[in-house]
Amino acid sequence: MRSENELIKLLNRDLNLLSFKKLRKQNISIRFENEELVSGLNYLKSQNYIHLATISCVDWIEDNQFELIYQLFSYEDKISLSVKTRINRKTSKFVTIKNLWGVAKYYERDIHDFFGIKFTGNDNMDELILENWNEIPPMRKDFKTRQYVDKKYDWRQYHGQE
Amino acid sequence: MDKSKMTEMFFGPNHPGVPGNYGINYFYEGDTVVSAEPNPGHLHRGFEKLMEEREWIKNTPLVCRICVMEPDINEMVYAMGFEAIGKIDIPKRATYIRSIILELARIQAHIFSIGGNCGAIGLYTAMQWGVLTRDYILDLFEEITGGRVYHIYIRPGGVRHDIEDVTLQKILDLLNDLENNRMPEFQKLIFENPIAQKRWKNTAILNQEDALSLGVTGPALRATGLVHDVRKLIPYAAYEQVDFKVPSGQDGDAWTRLKLKKDEIFQSINIIRQLINNIPDGPVSLNLGNALKYKIPNGEAYVKIESSRGEYGYYIVSDGGLKPYRVHVRGTSTPLGLYGVESLLPGCRIEDVPIWAHSLGICPPEFDR
Amino acid sequence: MSKDKSSIFSPAVSFKNLFKKPETIKVPEENKKTAKRYRGFHINDLDKCIGCGTCSEICDNKAIEMVELENVKTELGQRNERPKIDYGRCCWCGLCVDICTTGSLQFTQDYTYINHDAESFSYIPDNKNINKVESEIGYERDQYSELLDLYRVEMQELNAESRVKSFMEIVKGFSKKQAEKEASRCVECDICTEACPASMNIPEYIRGIYDENLEESLQQIYEDNPLPEVCGRICTHNCESICSIGHRGEAVSIRWLKRYAVDNVDLAEYNKILGTEKIHQVDKKVAIIGAGPAGLSAAHYLKLMGYQITIFEAESKAGGMMRYGIPEYRLPYEKLDKDINYIKNLGVEFKFNTRIGENISLSDIKKDYDAVFAATGLHNGRSTRIPGTENNNVYQAIYLLKQITKGKKIPLTKKIVIIGGGNVAMDIARSLARLQKKKYGQVNVLVTSLETEDIMPADQEEIEEARAEGVDFEPGRGPKEIIVSENGSISQVCTNCCVSVFDEDMNFNPTFDDQDIQNYDCDMVVEAIGQAGDNSYIDDNYDIEYEGPRIKVNDKQQTSLSWLFAGGDIVRGPDVINGIKTGHNAAQGIDYFLKNNQKSS
Repeated sequence: MRSENELIKLLNRDLNLLSFKKLRKQNISIRFENEELVSGLNYLKSQNYIHLATISCVDWIEDNQFELIYQLFSYEDKISLSVKTRINRKTSKFVTIKNLWGVAKYYERDIHDFFGIKFTGNDNMDELILENWNEIPPMRKDFKTRQYVDKKYDWRQYHGQE
Repeated sequence: MDKSKMTEMFFGPNHPGVPGNYGINYFYEGDTVVSAEPNPGHLHRGFEKLMEEREWIKNTPLVCRICVMEPDINEMVYAMGFEAIGKIDIPKRATYIRSIILELARIQAHIFSIGGNCGAIGLYTAMQWGVLTRDYILDLFEEITGGRVYHIYIRPGGVRHDIEDVTLQKILDLLNDLENNRMPEFQKLIFENPIAQKRWKNTAILNQEDALSLGVTGPALRATGLVHDVRKLIPYAAYEQVDFKVPSGQDGDAWTRLKLKKDEIFQSINIIRQLINNIPDGPVSLNLGNALKYKIPNGEAYVKIESSRGEYGYYIVSDGGLKPYRVHVRGTSTPLGLYGVESLLPGCRIEDVPIWAHSLGICPPEFDR
Repeated sequence: MSKDKSSIFSPAVSFKNLFKKPETIKVPEENKKTAKRYRGFHINDLDKCIGCGTCSEICDNKAIEMVELENVKTELGQRNERPKIDYGRCCWCGLCVDICTTGSLQFTQDYTYINHDAESFSYIPDNKNINKVESEIGYERDQYSELLDLYRVEMQELNAESRVKSFMEIVKGFSKKQAEKEASRCVECDICTEACPASMNIPEYIRGIYDENLEESLQQIYEDNPLPEVCGRICTHNCESICSIGHRGEAVSIRWLKRYAVDNVDLAEYNKILGTEKIHQVDKKVAIIGAGPAGLSAAHYLKLMGYQITIFEAESKAGGMMRYGIPEYRLPYEKLDKDINYIKNLGVEFKFNTRIGENISLSDIKKDYDAVFAATGLHNGRSTRIPGTENNNVYQAIYLLKQITKGKKIPLTKKIVIIGGGNVAMDIARSLARLQKKKYGQVNVLVTSLETEDIMPADQEEIEEARAEGVDFEPGRGPKEIIVSENGSISQVCTNCCVSVFDEDMNFNPTFDDQDIQNYDCDMVVEAIGQAGDNSYIDDNYDIEYEGPRIKVNDKQQTSLSWLFAGGDIVRGPDVINGIKTGHNAAQGIDYFLKNNQKSS
């Protein structure tokens, strides 16, 4: 079982990290360039980080980037590792990791549904949660829910008791 | 795959065989499922976007509605994420009360789930008993928190009110009643019932390799032999101060999973007794200032707890403003409800599909959000 | 792995329930009592509620709307709005009850309501809930579910022993962290704006401090108040008296926050921040008589409109009572100068040592200027005229304060009695205490007033601080005579008991009890019982209308002579912020008059 500092030393030695940070006890975040990410995840899986909890996405609209975060966990080290990378918001494309974890197919499909990011290699990008959606992907920061509701629905006017 | 010989079945969103509103579209040939596809999205309410547009305090009545069966886990993880980013230490009595509430929530979720599983195989008496027993626990929640199902009790900084000694005694009385009167009746009706045993043994098997590669946690993983529980891996609240065992099994079938749920109820009763006997005095919450102006510094956190079905996590990002920048909900049954249907269901008999869905603890509101 | 027990007879345990009483509760024949903490329908005490709107602000479903009610009026400290709750949207989370600033909104234990009319589900709660019956109180807020920040950040001040040794400013001011914490306490209900005589944008400038945007704060303050360094120290803070947080906790320290905002912006940046680097000039001239708060305020706003302004001031420096009346330990001169210099740098011309009626007449001014604003103030002290006041050792408080400001030596004896109970009496008492401490090493000042301590017009803080500095008080005494000894020096002040100050109609009509006599030893008496003005420069040449002792003006400060406007203490007192408001009004009135050249409405 490694401590947080030992893990950081090991990762710095074997991988090409862009940055790393110990967030708090049992929680570390590391960042890769786009090209290094898949090989980095492969290496981490071999180091017993076998549990992929989820893939999250954050829209940094002011930096013009999306950030993808892969939440890994090791049952031996008991450390939660957040593996991050940033992609260009305009092209919004990345590679799939379904060959490492099959379940990633659905996380990526969910991110495509809500953020509009295409994952090359993942052949099923149909709508998962949304249905017949015609606007921009809704979790993006430039989608305004109030404007959408005002456009699509009529507000019922009622006055209450006199 | 020659589709001309197969029938397509819409095991649709409105069906007593699915726990919640969730559909499975599958092709079957004869009696066996050949290929399956999930049909989620019927319970999508847009929580993650809603949470970005409300101040931190205004999200507390909203988050409990993400998982209907066990709402306290959402309140707990949201408060934990807020406190982790803001580096806030809450008073000790508050951690004990939070653990008591979470364990009571676990007991009632397990009882309800056992009842639901019995309903899936036709043992409707047990289903009614599950609802009835859960109701007594909801009465206790009403007395402690003011609401039966949606408590809105756990807040950043602690909990909302103190628990009186009278109420603690009522909790102990109810647990005695559960342990001595009702659980033996459940044991006889369900777990010593030869028809139920035959129905559940060797059905809906999930082996260890599949479970680990999917990211499955909770009773479904512990039924395959591994003893992993977030309460022991990354301790939170008051779990380091109590002594408890984590039950596990070997076979990975529906029968083992249900037995684990029953064993966990007894462990929870044990935990609550220890917590009540050792609860310290003191305040139960920190005043974090004007609630309309809560602010935490720039940061992120992935926090998780052990719900009755497994690991439940939130990924919260804060940009130092009055509203959360991003909240991502990782429901426990996301891998099983979505990818598990595609990869594990083929080969199952069609009459076992409800057992598969119920015993693995698929809860659609969690991954639809 | 033990073999699981199974038996065909085990499920028969369910037959036990055939003979047991069912556990279901058959509503409505039986009824289950809700728990004490249940969150049911709302009730609201309409008299206690002040319409602040905080409940509407925190509701995350937008279920609460503030609506105007006819039988409730807007007055100081409350609005005529009350919450209206829409039960189609409410989720009974209880955040509104937790944050209610007065504690008037509460929950009952009632939870059923049946009606086929959807409109009836949105209603204004009063002391009965939606079912129109009296119902038990349910969930209540307590100290752990409190969502407001009830207690102030403590302001660092000099303690009494060190401060009586000098005229150094007592209040030290907030640090950045303290100011942001204090600013976060505000719930932005806006009731304070309605109580401020100048209607300053209070929640907006507090928000500027919270957002670390002091430029925004400065802009919001200067919209209605060009003397923030002064008001941030000595304003009578009507806003704080009715702050909604003050109902259950301590009011937000609005005055100290204003002081923090302006103290931390450099004077050199003001023009850029306030957008006054270039002002479009208009070819009209306005004369202002008096460089006190009303005169400076009118000069500031008229200058921004482009007019050419000249201020005639009798003393050698600007400021009026702010400089010559308020002691330095409350308002340091350099801070007053910062405010005045900004107005001067806009291009306002000052003519000092020019007294109207002496060095120049009003008709001379009228010839050269298009409009005149008179704000000469009340600079003559009133006297009790009791026997003995003609003695040389009886002084007026205003005269002494002016001399202290000018740095001149004043007569200072070992035992001083001050007659009067207002803020001016406190100012002179504390100034004399400091001078006595310096000259004699100890303080011996006694303040006597007609009013008993609970109705003394001075601020409670001033009375307490004065007491801590060694000033003695004898309230409820009426001055009868100043006893002079044979060599012409004062030996005692003789007082009787003042039974009441006001009569039934609340007019000033004191009654005394001559049987209760007390004498106090002293060798100097200072009178601080009120101030009077000198309007002879107007009265000699022109015939204007009066309303009692004050000049009569319309709501744009215009007198019965269309070109003459009046403001400040000679029209309406009694403090700086009211003077600033009259100056601002007069600026708008003069602008209208000069553009239309007729009587403004």
